[in-house]
Amino acid sequence: MNQRSGFLAKLGIRPNEIALILAIVAIIGITLGADANRSYWFQWETNSIEIGRQTALLGIFALGAMMVIVSGGIDLSSGSMIAFSGTVIACSMIYLQYGPLGSLLFPVVVDSAGKSIATDMAHAGLFVQSLVVIVSIAMGLTSGFFVGTLHAWLITSIRLPPFVATLSTLVGLRSMARILCEYTTSTYQNSKKAQVNIDHPFFTWLRDSKHVYLWVAVFFVLAALTWVILSRTVLGRHIYALGGNEQAAKLSGIRTDRLKWFAYVFGAMTASLASVFYLANEGVCAPVNQGRGHELNAIAAAVVGGCSLQGGIGTVTGTFLGALFLRIVIDSVSKIIKSGADIWEGLIVGIVVVLAVTFSQLQQLRGSGRRLFPGALGVCAIITLSLFAALIAMSTWGEKQAAMTMIGVFVVLFVYGFTEKQKARG
Amino acid sequence: MHSLSTHFRVPGRWLSGMLLLATLTFAGCSEKKEDSTVGNAANASSNAKRRIVFVVNTDDPFWDACREGLKEGERHFKLADSGLSASMEVPDGSIKGQIDRLRQLASQSDLAGVALSAISADNPSIAEELENFQKKGIKVITVDGDLLRTKYRANRKYYIGTDNETAGEILGKAAAGILASRNKTAGGYAQFAGYTDNDNARSRMDGFKRGVGTAFIEKDRISDETDRTRAQENVRNALSNHPDLVALVGIWAYNAPAIARTVESAGVKKNMTVVTFDAQEAAIQEMEKGNIDAMLVQNPFDMGFQAVRLLSAMVLNNDSVEKEMFPNTGTDADIYTTGLRLVVPNSGSPLKAEDFDAKVVEFMKLDDFKKWLTKYNLKSS
Amino acid sequence: MADPIVSLRKIGKSFPGVRALSDVSFDIANGELHAICGENGAGKSTLMKILSGVICDYDGELHVSGQKVQFQGTRDAEAASISIIHQELNLVEQLSVAANIFLGRELRNSIGLRSDAAMESAAKKILVELETDIDPRALAGSLRVGDQQLVEIAKALSLNSQILIMDEPTSALTESEVARLYRVIAKLRQRGATILYISHKMDEVFQLSNRITVLRDGCFILTENTSDTNANEITKWMVGREIESLDLGGRSAPGDVLLEVKNLSMAWPGHARGYRLKDVSFHLRRGEVLGIAGLMGAGRTELMECLFGAAEHTVQGTLLLDGKPYSPNHPKEACNAGIGLVTEDRKRLGIFPAMNVKQNISICSLDSTLLAGLLSSKLEQEASSSMVGNLQVKTASLESAITSLSGGNQQKCIVGRWLLTQPKILLLDDPTRGVDVGAKSELYRLINKLCQDGLGVIVTSSELPELLTLSDRILVLSEGRLTAEFRREDATQEKIMRAATQ
Repeated sequence: MNQRSGFLAKLGIRPNEIALILAIVAIIGITLGADANRSYWFQWETNSIEIGRQTALLGIFALGAMMVIVSGGIDLSSGSMIAFSGTVIACSMIYLQYGPLGSLLFPVVVDSAGKSIATDMAHAGLFVQSLVVIVSIAMGLTSGFFVGTLHAWLITSIRLPPFVATLSTLVGLRSMARILCEYTTSTYQNSKKAQVNIDHPFFTWLRDSKHVYLWVAVFFVLAALTWVILSRTVLGRHIYALGGNEQAAKLSGIRTDRLKWFAYVFGAMTASLASVFYLANEGVCAPVNQGRGHELNAIAAAVVGGCSLQGGIGTVTGTFLGALFLRIVIDSVSKIIKSGADIWEGLIVGIVVVLAVTFSQLQQLRGSGRRLFPGALGVCAIITLSLFAALIAMSTWGEKQAAMTMIGVFVVLFVYGFTEKQKARG
Repeated sequence: MHSLSTHFRVPGRWLSGMLLLATLTFAGCSEKKEDSTVGNAANASSNAKRRIVFVVNTDDPFWDACREGLKEGERHFKLADSGLSASMEVPDGSIKGQIDRLRQLASQSDLAGVALSAISADNPSIAEELENFQKKGIKVITVDGDLLRTKYRANRKYYIGTDNETAGEILGKAAAGILASRNKTAGGYAQFAGYTDNDNARSRMDGFKRGVGTAFIEKDRISDETDRTRAQENVRNALSNHPDLVALVGIWAYNAPAIARTVESAGVKKNMTVVTFDAQEAAIQEMEKGNIDAMLVQNPFDMGFQAVRLLSAMVLNNDSVEKEMFPNTGTDADIYTTGLRLVVPNSGSPLKAEDFDAKVVEFMKLDDFKKWLTKYNLKSS
Repeated sequence: MADPIVSLRKIGKSFPGVRALSDVSFDIANGELHAICGENGAGKSTLMKILSGVICDYDGELHVSGQKVQFQGTRDAEAASISIIHQELNLVEQLSVAANIFLGRELRNSIGLRSDAAMESAAKKILVELETDIDPRALAGSLRVGDQQLVEIAKALSLNSQILIMDEPTSALTESEVARLYRVIAKLRQRGATILYISHKMDEVFQLSNRITVLRDGCFILTENTSDTNANEITKWMVGREIESLDLGGRSAPGDVLLEVKNLSMAWPGHARGYRLKDVSFHLRRGEVLGIAGLMGAGRTELMECLFGAAEHTVQGTLLLDGKPYSPNHPKEACNAGIGLVTEDRKRLGIFPAMNVKQNISICSLDSTLLAGLLSSKLEQEASSSMVGNLQVKTASLESAITSLSGGNQQKCIVGRWLLTQPKILLLDDPTRGVDVGAKSELYRLINKLCQDGLGVIVTSSELPELLTLSDRILVLSEGRLTAEFRREDATQEKIMRAATQ
């Protein structure tokens, strides 16, 4: 362990990242053992494709979340940004097809029987198809740039705390996306719709599981780019400085406001990029609930990967592994618990996030001599943990066993808390 | 470099150790969970190897009755004897949730058949996943929520469910009858649904519009995105925005109690006709209180039952069942219609059984309906 | 003399690396106004914190009304009838005046619920006694500083404190508010209160006090009856500190004028004085060390911030750098113009705790470590290690955490950070604060050497001997104004202290 970590440290991999890699391997091993179908063995290809797809989907904007967190901020709006940017892309496609330019790009032609028919997307030439998709995605990314700019302006000029600024866009952007969607569909398609189906051949092609390598490739390229920015450029170093000590950074002649602008634009634009894959993945632009709550998954991935929410600490490798770890945990839960896995999913992800973050700080906690279960709060916490353990035991095991679990957990923790107290006194 | 690694070594080991511990504990729990399921579900045969999975759209009491039907079917058709089991999967109600669930199933090797209630009829991702299942030899049907038949008919073999348009039309006629008995010959109505552009909802609303007739004007179709609080808010807003409303139509199951409660608290029940789809527990109570005038009830129990019957037969290549269930040829050769019921509060209702075609819809009083529910230990349908 | 109400016996207190108080013994008589004088860092605040129960572990004994006490917190001190009115007021701005007065001792009604009405009427009574019409329901944050101070006094009165400690109470008051405070003090004394009055304003001390105690470098110097002494004598006692003998060797004559400052002013919105700096003018030559003296709050740090483009409020006046107009709006512009700032509060404003030594040194000069647009760790390593070598920073390696270094070595890293930018002017804001004695003289030699290399240095310090050792010229600030300028040959601690307390 010692030598290996020295070697890996030379490669720039931190020990907590090694721990994540080990945890990932362990989970794969456990899943192989516990899953009666051995899906990871017999269907490794399908499984790698699906995990790759999901990891890319989460990882792309988790990198953006990490950039913002390292700079000392937080971006709560990325889920809504995905919906907004997806809507901008979908509406751009509708506009190009049915708007004033539509007759140029999609001319009415006369078929062999002499009947006039309008060209649709599927029958438009490759040039028109590419033009539409490139322009639309560019519009989506541009919308990311502007939303990021708005965040930076609210935070640096209006002096809103990042939490408040991005909380307002979290709710506002989704609403705006719905307004845009209804406006565009009613204006250009004559029927107000709450969601738009994405039937562009590019998105259909992208969705095909044979092309998931492209998703993963985009994720890898973005990760590599982010790594270069953070580790090999002045900009990146300044972002670490900004997150680590904003005052000192400013007094070192760093233009902190511009850095924040970059960080929030990066955060929003990665969400825009992710929205392309969300559109492909779901085949629909659904501003109502596309990506709803996913910003928290991205933040969780960054935090599990070693980011400090205080800022200044965090790596691309960590976030990459954090996203992969979360997706594998979720996948593994569905493999092991065959039916109704999603009711367990949240609980297990929650436990894993708490453990990952707690144990990276345990040394600090012990060093400071603080007690884990102090006073009345500690006693109540012990009771809470025992009750939760009992609840889990009850639903998986039985009521008698639940009672025993509760007593067992209570006694163990209580004895621990008691010795802790004695130690603190002595 | 050296100091960095010494700084992190100890917490690193802790982290990995604890994560391992956590996952092991978790695996321990879940293995026990698996044991217990096997123990409960298949006492007769412990080699349940292949699964029939019913993927629904979201968590709703509607599916409780269906689950009962599924279980009843599993027992009745002795699935365990053929190494099969049937279970229900409940995703989170978003499109992505359902797609993820299908992909998750696709990456498992013990799947024999899939029944799906599609959350979106024309979603290409969902359609493609079903096609992928079929390519792998997994049998696929849709239940309750079909795919867009004009486009994706080949992506599933059969559809079991209600003809939503007919259902809407019956409820429309019922509403017209009630309104006539209250001397209302004109006015407006509003329809409430989770998503107004959802295929089922649209069929029901279009059917209702036809059934109720042109004397009444459709003022609004309002969606609440399955948010129950919003559902009540929508009713309140409709009441204040359109003073000429005479009827309110609940399209999705939870819209019924939302409408009934709001109408009651606004004190406008006397002048308002409330008709709804499906019979949630809360909706039954509201009907007892007199806040709902008629309910059109699907038969989710039968949907579950028939889905198991059909899928197990398809998996076991038992052609006779398929022929029995789908005798027709032509355009609707792939549709099996489960029964409809029109439930009215009591014999005091202005609606009479003879007004409706008994072949299409079963006319029931609330008391009879509740007896049927009790028989299968159900609370709602 | 009557029995003392408070006796201090051999009080001592050490903080890591600093002996803040040693063997302080004196008595405070019942009913007197006892002034305590001393320079910054003389130990006044530490002593008051011990008296008011903020600091609980100290050496020596404290007697109140003849009994030995050992406070375990401010509540114990309050129970012993001692209250303190802090220089930086301790009010919860979002709560009402009445709530602040009774904070932690809220009045309750018969069924145990908090009674705002009872507290408000009680507060009103006390405030009327203090000749003020402050509304007890007003939010503390909405009051002017002078009124906030009265609320603090009201809090002390509501505790029926017999002993009141006032820590530089007039520092933020207008003249009329000062007059009102004097009247309040007179009233308190009529009621028999004993007041410990901390100030370095000689006129105040001589107008109000019965006796004066002088502290210096944590030691008790003397207690005198006010009538038996005068301001000059007290000032002399305050500064009579030993100068550390350090010969920095000869320095070549200063060169051309590098920086010229004309009528620099900086606003202070919301404060009685209205300005942080007023009409400050001076110049700095190449190869010269310019010292800036002044007490806490005199505007030393603000002056540095103005020169560095980091001022919080509007700045007026003219700056000429190398004869060219210079008006920095952001520290970046100051850097580009060749100015570096070593900040006063190293931990809060200087170091990046999550970064290692190498990164902390290179952060301002990363542009010179680029290869093809990317950071070259080799070039960065070379730059940082050259500074670690030149400045003799004691560190295990360049990759060590900056927080593992001692204060003096951290400070050297920050100086090195700026030297890498090859500045023309280096601003050092209290560079030896929290640095131990040995490291101090190393820093002095370093500053001297930088000057010989042609840099212009402006240095502030709260320690006068330090300025007298380092500077070619010394400017004295008092309450935002430039009150004196001395050449090194002419400067003495007494002269500087007199100008600083004007």
